[in-house]
Amino acid sequence: MQNNSVNFKRQVTVKLADVRLQNALSRLQSRFVGGRAAVISEISDFEETRVAAAAIRDRALNDLEHWLLQFEQQATARGAVIHWAETGEDVNRIVVEIAALHGVRTAAKSKSMVSEECGLNDALEKAGVQVTETDLGEYILQLGHEAPSHIVAPVVHKNKEEIADLFAEHHQKPRKTGIAELCLEARETLRPIFLNADMGISGGNFVIAETGSVLIVTNEGNGRLVTTLPRVHVAITGIEKVVPTLEDVTTLLRLLPRSATGQSITNYISLLTGTKGSTDHDGPAHFHIILLDNGRSSILDSDMQKMLRCIRCGACMNHCPVYQNIGGHAYGWVYPGPMGSILTPLLGGLESSPDLPNASTLCGACGAVCPVKIPLPDLLRKLREKQMERGMKTQRETFMLKAWAWMALHPKIYALITKIGVRLMGLMGGKDKLLHSLPGASGWTDGRDFPAPSGRTFRDLYQQGKHS
Amino acid sequence: MRVGLFVTCLVDAMRPRIGFATIKLLESAGCEVVFPEQQTCCGQPGFNSGDKDSAKSLALKFIAEFEMFDYVVVPSGSCAGMIKVHYPELFQDNPSLFARFTALSQRTFELTDFLVRIVKIEKVPGSFQGSITYHDSCSGLRQLDVYKQPRQLLATMTDVTVNEMIESTTCCGFGGTFSVKYGELSTRMADNKCQHITDTHADAIVGGDLGCLLNIEGRLRRTGDLKTRVLHVAEILSGSAQEE
Amino acid sequence: MNAREKILGKIRNAQLRSKANEGASAESTTSITQHLAQHPRGPQPPVIGDLLKQFKERCLKLSSDVIETNDRAEVPNLLRNYLNEKKLQTQGVCWPSLSTLPWSAAGLDIQSRPSNSHDAVGVTGAFCAIAETGTLMMLSGKETPPSTSLLPETHVAILDPRRIVATMEDAWDLMRTEHKQPPRAVNFISGPSRTADIEMTVTLGAHGPYRVLVILAPLG
Repeated sequence: MQNNSVNFKRQVTVKLADVRLQNALSRLQSRFVGGRAAVISEISDFEETRVAAAAIRDRALNDLEHWLLQFEQQATARGAVIHWAETGEDVNRIVVEIAALHGVRTAAKSKSMVSEECGLNDALEKAGVQVTETDLGEYILQLGHEAPSHIVAPVVHKNKEEIADLFAEHHQKPRKTGIAELCLEARETLRPIFLNADMGISGGNFVIAETGSVLIVTNEGNGRLVTTLPRVHVAITGIEKVVPTLEDVTTLLRLLPRSATGQSITNYISLLTGTKGSTDHDGPAHFHIILLDNGRSSILDSDMQKMLRCIRCGACMNHCPVYQNIGGHAYGWVYPGPMGSILTPLLGGLESSPDLPNASTLCGACGAVCPVKIPLPDLLRKLREKQMERGMKTQRETFMLKAWAWMALHPKIYALITKIGVRLMGLMGGKDKLLHSLPGASGWTDGRDFPAPSGRTFRDLYQQGKHS
Repeated sequence: MRVGLFVTCLVDAMRPRIGFATIKLLESAGCEVVFPEQQTCCGQPGFNSGDKDSAKSLALKFIAEFEMFDYVVVPSGSCAGMIKVHYPELFQDNPSLFARFTALSQRTFELTDFLVRIVKIEKVPGSFQGSITYHDSCSGLRQLDVYKQPRQLLATMTDVTVNEMIESTTCCGFGGTFSVKYGELSTRMADNKCQHITDTHADAIVGGDLGCLLNIEGRLRRTGDLKTRVLHVAEILSGSAQEE
Repeated sequence: MNAREKILGKIRNAQLRSKANEGASAESTTSITQHLAQHPRGPQPPVIGDLLKQFKERCLKLSSDVIETNDRAEVPNLLRNYLNEKKLQTQGVCWPSLSTLPWSAAGLDIQSRPSNSHDAVGVTGAFCAIAETGTLMMLSGKETPPSTSLLPETHVAILDPRRIVATMEDAWDLMRTEHKQPPRAVNFISGPSRTADIEMTVTLGAHGPYRVLVILAPLG
């Protein structure tokens, strides 16, 4: 998917004015934030479980090579074929080759954010393979040629009227109005796709080294259908998704659905190991697993490594006041919210996303809910440090920061300048004691007054003898 | 107890009475309060913008001015958080400085946290007639666990009614330089906060961080609310809010 | 160098750098073997009260239906009553191990074959069930095809209450004891399929079954 995060500021203006989006976002907030809070209490010691989950992720990351080799060995022994892809284009090429190898003309796809990174669907269509998204949200997006705006609830930005319009346009059936009717229509439309697809494509929430398995969590049943019925299954995931044992993934599964959707457990959890054998009735004859790097290996052993712990729950964006106000599309790439503000510059290059690390108050709501304790605000700040080191800040900002720091290191000058400055500003405030505009700070005064300073500094008053 | 008062650059420039209210509270709790006059800024604006070097220089200046006190008290969660959490982090590669900053951080407190946990104050000197709603500033809340402390102190004031707002712990949109750099977004976040405040019909909105309060006041006034008072918790607890 | 070598090489270099910088922070190969052999559990919530009671409560929370009987031969009658109540078709399929139950005597057309997507009801057993979350654990096999619990609109699972374990960790241990390795597919099923993609409103019956009925009956 193309990275458009350089358009962030313009997008913010658009999204803030989008009333339909604003309504949709408040729905998201009440369900996911409230939902999570209600079920977290089911875990007797949430903090202890988070610590354990972070340790599980770190165990894998700190010895990633060995765990990946273990996974490869186990998976291969059960009949799966492991492919390694350096970039998104490599993934696309591999999937096209697999399709050609097995005479695939139609593919049914369940959700995969990694495949969005690659732009897989376009590549398959170009190669003559008809791909249908089957996750309801992703299917709706496919009809509307849009990108997901949330990693778990991809079509959260649309209301049912918009969806009803899309269905009416594409299904050539009378326009439905109710949510249940729309879901039924999607079920009936997609059922034949599942039954007839040559290839199923899925992501992989985790891959388990102990057993060589791919684990997917879903609610709709489409994940099970695309990995059971077609004769070829291709699973695509990032190299960082390896988890050592079944017990380890179980700990992660206690936190993932609760953090994501406020469910104690997702409807379906499928552990998929190897191909259909003589002791199976269902299942793919061919199972291909593609492990994508796309910049992840460069994050290892860096001060940003903890970002690779991410289990893609979406809790950070659900709780982020910035995301809550602008939604996911403004972030310009596959991953929105706090995790996207870190991953997009890391995977796409800092130059591609000048705004994302800065468009945050560092309020910390994200870090407080991250099930694997990624220090998200710290990582955002680190990216700002890197921007500073590489001279990516504006001259003006760099000057202002250096000037302030210099003043603060010279108390006498600081005292004098602040004394004069606040006297002036106090006067500018007038009777109202409000400044309605401030030179150089229109970002503030366009939407807010600036309360005038009292006119004297504390230091000045204290030195004059005032003590209380 | 000899307490070094770090007023913060915002209080110094914008609302000195918060600094004096803080002194009054600390003295009423039996502390000897000293104001080191060379103090300026904790370095957070630069630090959050990615300028670690300036932050380190200001940290070294700070420790020279404040290390000698029994406690350092700060009427701001974000500045206290900078000193307690980030100063030691800045010197992780220097064992002796790391040790000194860690020791100092253990003696540094946000004001309400200090009054409740260290001094264990039972009565506050001030009185205030009216209803208030409390905004939980992010750094104090998430870095320093400040939530119960201001409420506990306010509960000792018999004429104060606390009307909790919806989402008191949601960011008001200040975020330092964010408030100017991403002004539209910041204004929207401030607007959401002001809506929640207005819905409580409280006489005053109270908080522990002046940056948030200026942001909130700025939006309230621009939208025509000239009535709701915007006050620092020190002003309520010390009684200086009632004096006006 | 192919992609595999390049990627693993990058990872290896990163790991060597961090071992050099931080000393003993990365694991050695022996402790990987140890971790695999011991597969230690993480923190688990205590399972309160009796497993059967908790399992039933969680099932209901997930919008599954639960019926209990002491007499396995009664299962077809109970199913018929359930289907009639809900005005559902009484046609379907079952796993071979369940074909000896008196289906036709109860007025049900249940055939012992895999589902072909036109079946209204799919009757399965379950490998075990998990009390913590009200979840069924299904292991795929020739006699236990996953499609039976997936394609029909109604999934009926006949579960012996003695196969209810407390947690997923217990379920894995049971699987390890009774089977050498995981089958092609292990499916954990927690209620009817659902989606909330449209306006965050939960709708039951997305692509999988609309309803799940758990009939608790002894294995005999």
